[in-house]
Amino acid sequence: MNEPRVSIQLDGNGRVYQPGDTLSGGYELESILSGDVSAVEVSVLWHTEGKGTEDLEVHDFQRFSTEDGDWLVPGRRGRFKTTLPNSPLSYDGLIVKLRWCVRVRVFLRRGKEVVGEMAFRLGDVPAAEAVVS
Amino acid sequence: MARNFRVYEKKRGHRRTGSRKLGSAGEALFFAVFFLLGCGGLVALFTTLVVPEWRVNHEFVQHTCTVLGTRIAEKAESDGGTVYRPEIQIEYLINGETYVSWTYDIHNSYSGGRDEKQAILNQFVVGAQYRCWYNPADSKEVVLVRGYNWWVWLLFIVPISFVLIGGGGFIYSALHLGRSAEYRAATTRRMVQPELFDRHGQAGADFPNVPTGANMTNSPGTKLAFRLPIATSPAWALFTTLLACLMWNGIVSVFLVIAVSGHLEGEPDWFLTVFIVPFVLIGVGLVVIFIRQLLVTSGIGPTLLEISDHPLYPAGRYRLFLSQFGRLKMNSLEILLVCEEEARYRQGTDTRTETRRMYQEQMFLREGFTVRRGEPFEADCEFAIPGNAMHSFKSDNNEINWKLLVKGNVEGWPDYQRTFPVIVYPNVSGSSNP
Amino acid sequence: MNEFCSDVRGSNPFSTSRIRPGAARFLFPRGRCAEAMVGQLQANDWRGQILGPHGSGKSALVAALIPAIEQAGRRPLLIALHDNQRRMPVDWNRLTAPGCATVLIVDGYEQLGRWARFKLKRFCRRRRAGLLVTAHKPVGLPDLCRLTPDLGLAQKIVDQLLGEQRSVIAPSEVAECFFRHRGNLREMLFGLYDLYEQRRRSTSA
Repeated sequence: MNEPRVSIQLDGNGRVYQPGDTLSGGYELESILSGDVSAVEVSVLWHTEGKGTEDLEVHDFQRFSTEDGDWLVPGRRGRFKTTLPNSPLSYDGLIVKLRWCVRVRVFLRRGKEVVGEMAFRLGDVPAAEAVVS
Repeated sequence: MARNFRVYEKKRGHRRTGSRKLGSAGEALFFAVFFLLGCGGLVALFTTLVVPEWRVNHEFVQHTCTVLGTRIAEKAESDGGTVYRPEIQIEYLINGETYVSWTYDIHNSYSGGRDEKQAILNQFVVGAQYRCWYNPADSKEVVLVRGYNWWVWLLFIVPISFVLIGGGGFIYSALHLGRSAEYRAATTRRMVQPELFDRHGQAGADFPNVPTGANMTNSPGTKLAFRLPIATSPAWALFTTLLACLMWNGIVSVFLVIAVSGHLEGEPDWFLTVFIVPFVLIGVGLVVIFIRQLLVTSGIGPTLLEISDHPLYPAGRYRLFLSQFGRLKMNSLEILLVCEEEARYRQGTDTRTETRRMYQEQMFLREGFTVRRGEPFEADCEFAIPGNAMHSFKSDNNEINWKLLVKGNVEGWPDYQRTFPVIVYPNVSGSSNP
Repeated sequence: MNEFCSDVRGSNPFSTSRIRPGAARFLFPRGRCAEAMVGQLQANDWRGQILGPHGSGKSALVAALIPAIEQAGRRPLLIALHDNQRRMPVDWNRLTAPGCATVLIVDGYEQLGRWARFKLKRFCRRRRAGLLVTAHKPVGLPDLCRLTPDLGLAQKIVDQLLGEQRSVIAPSEVAECFFRHRGNLREMLFGLYDLYEQRRRSTSA
């Protein structure tokens, strides 16, 4: 059997969005046995990258758990949908970068986790250029 | 990994320090002791030195006396040295009663320098009459000289330093009793750099992680809508330098006076002299820095910058109005619009902060002109935020900051730069872009 | 030279998320591994010190040892002290239940004042908890490891981070950066961040 993984697809053009747009898509749990899944968390979040300590903030979060009576079947495609905020916009800076993504974390019964991530762009701010002094 | 063991780090939002309140109380107590020592010193100096002089100058009654004799009183010091004081025996008559007393000034203090004391005595001729001043409440208390000694005021530097540092530290500690180091650092930074931004604020719901800049629009301009606050007031830097200068020189001056007195008396303490030299040099350096800062701050004068609208938006056009005060011969004065990224990283015992400029544009430049005192240099200009600009951003460890920099190149003076933070919002449909 | 991985468009392998302790596989000194070190720690009654200059990888080694400590049946409790933090976190001594086989790991131990160190050592003695610390100079515990990064190690770390993009940064550039930062691996990696970023941008321009 292959390694468990999560695949995520975004609807529409899939990668570049504007503030206020609706982000929607689906995810599938692959190579995971039915009954192995105890919970699934779907987050739409941004995080920084670069030379500073990573900051992260979750814009939207959903948790599905068998304990709460949710029906989690690996073969069944899950959906997510959220309205994107006005900020912060995706940014490719010199020492500070800002990235948006959809992250799906699957909790398996034996304490293991499988994480899938799909990046997307919010806004169309171009990459920064260094100032030549 | 975090699931299997607990990690306790000092991070913002998770305040974990041991006995913080006790530690802060200890700090407050330390500064309180400093403050009380300073107050005690002030009181002691006042009552033993200032008050007696004041009484002589205001309460004592002028009279006439006859000098009967002179002498130099000697006292042996514990270190084997000798100190002296001048004593003049006078006779004076008050309400039919004759008084005879050995006196000179109200302090009757001993000090080094026998020759100095002899020179004082040489001014008085036995048998001649001189003015004297006596205490009307106690006629036996009389002096031959009055006025104020300059060295008395020099001694006040030390207790004043203790009071300022102790009082300031106590207030600071008391206000932050039980607060974390991050809270203190933020509050301290607010004192010298007013907190212009808060991370979420009222606009937080609409523009998360874009600073609101509430403090930036609460000051109306005279020509344009808003007067922008300056990032770091030069006055705070000056105050800090003054405090350091006073404290350092206050303590060093005591030892310096002792060392110099020893040399003047012909009994130099070479160990003290050599020991104190580096400290004196540092003190002189501090004074130079303070004077330089004072000259810059007072000579260059305040820089005021007003803007036609705020916050700013990409592709928006705005007007600026600049007022530069002072008495300056300017080689050049320019206004720059810059954007900088700031990243903070903490790992182990190291904290590093790095700043990188990713946008810079000159908005205004004027060369070769003079600013006269009372006649500020005024200019206005227009500028635009680039259409694809990244908005201002602030999170715990990463920031994107837009600023207007006013840079002055002054003939014969150090260059100066005044920073005015501004906030750029992202462009959204329906937003109030100009 | 410019073999930037298209799947990591815009992602710099030297960003903090990639170089922070625990993010990448720790490269142990020759002949040593996590299990052996934990065995040595156990032989010293679970007491030890990891020494090394700034940026030598002490925190990264701690992160690498933690799973092995767990496998050896002890519960690791990591407390990371940052600059000027002279006291332990509040309630830290309640985190270890009596009889629980804990190893207290203090990253940045020498920042603690004398009194705090005394209390910590006394606590560990009484609770029979282990104590593993990181410091720049010896602090009176048995030596577990002394980290002295050399150019060879630096090159291996860079190769590991770059992966398929090794040709982006030449070994001579790694050497220059390593010596410019006087062996401080963390600063070297930050320096290579800038170099990588510069190359990536000039390629995509």
